[in-house]
Amino acid sequence: MGANFPEILPLLLRHGVRFVLIGGGAATVHGSARLTLDVDVVYARDPDNLKRLVAALSPCQPYLRGAPPGLPFRWDERTIQSGLNFTLTTTLGDLDLLGEVTGGGNYEQLLPFTQELSAFGISCRVVTLERLIQLKRAAGRPKDLEIIAELQALLEERRKIEPSRGG
Amino acid sequence: MSEHIGEADAVHDKLPPADFYDPVIEAYKKDVDRTLLRENLKLTVEQRLQKFASFSKYAQELRGAAWRSAVKESNHGR
Repeated sequence: MGANFPEILPLLLRHGVRFVLIGGGAATVHGSARLTLDVDVVYARDPDNLKRLVAALSPCQPYLRGAPPGLPFRWDERTIQSGLNFTLTTTLGDLDLLGEVTGGGNYEQLLPFTQELSAFGISCRVVTLERLIQLKRAAGRPKDLEIIAELQALLEERRKIEPSRGG
Repeated sequence: MSEHIGEADAVHDKLPPADFYDPVIEAYKKDVDRTLLRENLKLTVEQRLQKFASFSKYAQELRGAAWRSAVKESNHGR
């Protein structure tokens, strides 16, 4: 299943979860031609937001992706507080919940490098193309080299049509 | 938690600019199909997401068809 943005993002927003869309979803928003399989978000770790995350995702049976079935995994505030980054399967599709991201820090630190995304009647924060490239580079994963190349090409193409936007 | 924030701040300061020249990335860039990117840039964000959803659905259907075909072949071989 491809990343299920049309259902996962509105669900989080309806519950008032504070998050920033990053990863392949952000790349798609900025014009990437790649297909991504999960939704990646950096979430705020204040207690209220953790409560909202639990309420939002509980009906979707979140479980640790790739883990053997039957583990005593409980989706509650204590679990989120004890962990940081969660790669989850849910009934709505795969979701990566990141408390921090390499090179970008936590939600509050990433916020100045985001822009508003409005589509399908919803509005959320998405990391800028420039910061997305920096995050991919900071991650230092060989598998990201092709993606960084595409994102940089995208930035160059965008600057050709919007020279005043800079970068 | 504060230790994490400190580390992240330090990383923030060290990040090279988005258009940083890297010969390895430049080599990969030669294979990027810029026509696809140019077409996507003409679309609104909503249209880009719709295109993604439609392509994603198509890929899923193809995968399903390939799987069913493999199962059928396997059953024929028995």
